[in-house]
Formats: sequence, structure tokens, C-alpha cells
Amino acid sequence: MAAADRPGDPGADGTPADETEPDARFTFANERTFLAWQRTALAFVVAGLAIVQLLPPFPGVPWGRHAIGVPLIALGAVIAASGYRQWARSQRAMRRSEPLPTSVLPQVLAVTITGMAIVAAVVLLLSAILGH
Amino acid sequence: MKPPEDLEDLDPGQARERTGLAWTRTAIGFAAVGGAILKTSIAAGLAVLALSLVIWGLSRTFRKSAGVGASPRRLLLVALTVVAVSLVALTVALLHRSS
Repeated sequence: MAAADRPGDPGADGTPADETEPDARFTFANERTFLAWQRTALAFVVAGLAIVQLLPPFPGVPWGRHAIGVPLIALGAVIAASGYRQWARSQRAMRRSEPLPTSVLPQVLAVTITGMAIVAAVVLLLSAILGH
Repeated sequence: MKPPEDLEDLDPGQARERTGLAWTRTAIGFAAVGGAILKTSIAAGLAVLALSLVIWGLSRTFRKSAGVGASPRRLLLVALTVVAVSLVALTVALLHRSS
């Protein structure tokens, strides 16, 4: 969690917060991770749109498609913004030779996908009960 | 003095090449969202498709430049664009009649 125990580098210890450009491979890798999160965000947006626009309405549950699709699109916006924040934090840590910061993005992703699965199941069950 | 070593010096781990391809994939992602929005709103869909061309252009300039990595401002621009596209999609989804 917190960077309490840093690797005690005797050489870097004397100079306060000097920043050096990290290895080019690490900078490129960080950028690819950023782009991968942006694509994940875009995939959520397109999935949410497809659910709202392309699915036939659930019988008896007229709000069903919006209940599933709109949160997915909103999550896309959240992932895009936090993906940039994570890129900036990682880049700064690499310049300062600090341990890489942990990301909440995977946790947010897992929790939201679980939640959306539950919402989808509820919508389907309600549709089966109310649809007649 | 072998040619493979020279290639490694030029582009270690093919990092530049792989990052260029990642930019291309991201541009394709934009185009996919644009195509999906087209179904409801032609204007908004075309706007997002145009954005995918902008990202594509970014990847082209990226491949030609000798520098390491894109500038923070450019990446912030990409992230803000994705947020803007999400908001457009949100509007399109909420305006879609739940008939």
C-alpha cells in the first residue's frame, strides 16, 4: 500500500528528488498500458450502446436495456480518466526510481462487471415474471 | 557486431513498434464506437469517426518521431477524447426511446 519501505539506495539517497528519464522500454510499456485502458473504456462504451440500441426490449421491463447499458457507458468514462491518472503516476514514480503505485482500476473493473452481471440477471428474471 | 544487435539498439524489445501498433488498435476502437453511434445519430457518429482519424494521425506522427513516448499533453488529450465520446454515447443512449 503506502511506500513505507523504500529500497535504500545509497547513491540516490543524497540527492533530493532528482528525476531521471526511465529506460525507453518502460516509458513505451507505460504508454501501451495507458492505450490498453483507453481501448477498454471504448469497449465498455460500445457494449453499452449496443445493449441500448440493438437489443429488442425486455418484455415487461421497458427500462431493462437502459439499466444495463447506461452504467457500462458511464464506467467507460471513469476508466478513461483514471487510466490517464494511472499513467501519470507510474511515469512519475519511474522517473524518481520509486516503486510503481498500485492501481484501483482492476478492482473497479471486477466489482462493476460483477454488479452488471447481477443487474442483467435481475432484469432477465423480472422479464420472465412480468413478461406475460 | 551482428545485425540483430544493431536492431536491438535501434528499437529495444521492439517497444516502439509495439506501441505504434497499440495506437493503431486504439484508433480502430474509436472507429468501432463511431460506427455504433451512427445507427442512432449520423452527425455524432461521423464526429466520432473523424476523431478516429485524428488518433490515426497521432499514431502516424508517433511512428515518425525519434522521441521516446508521447507527451503528457497528447495522452491527456486522448483520455479526454474518450471521456467526451462516452458522454456523447451516454446522451445517445438516454435519448433512445425505450419503446
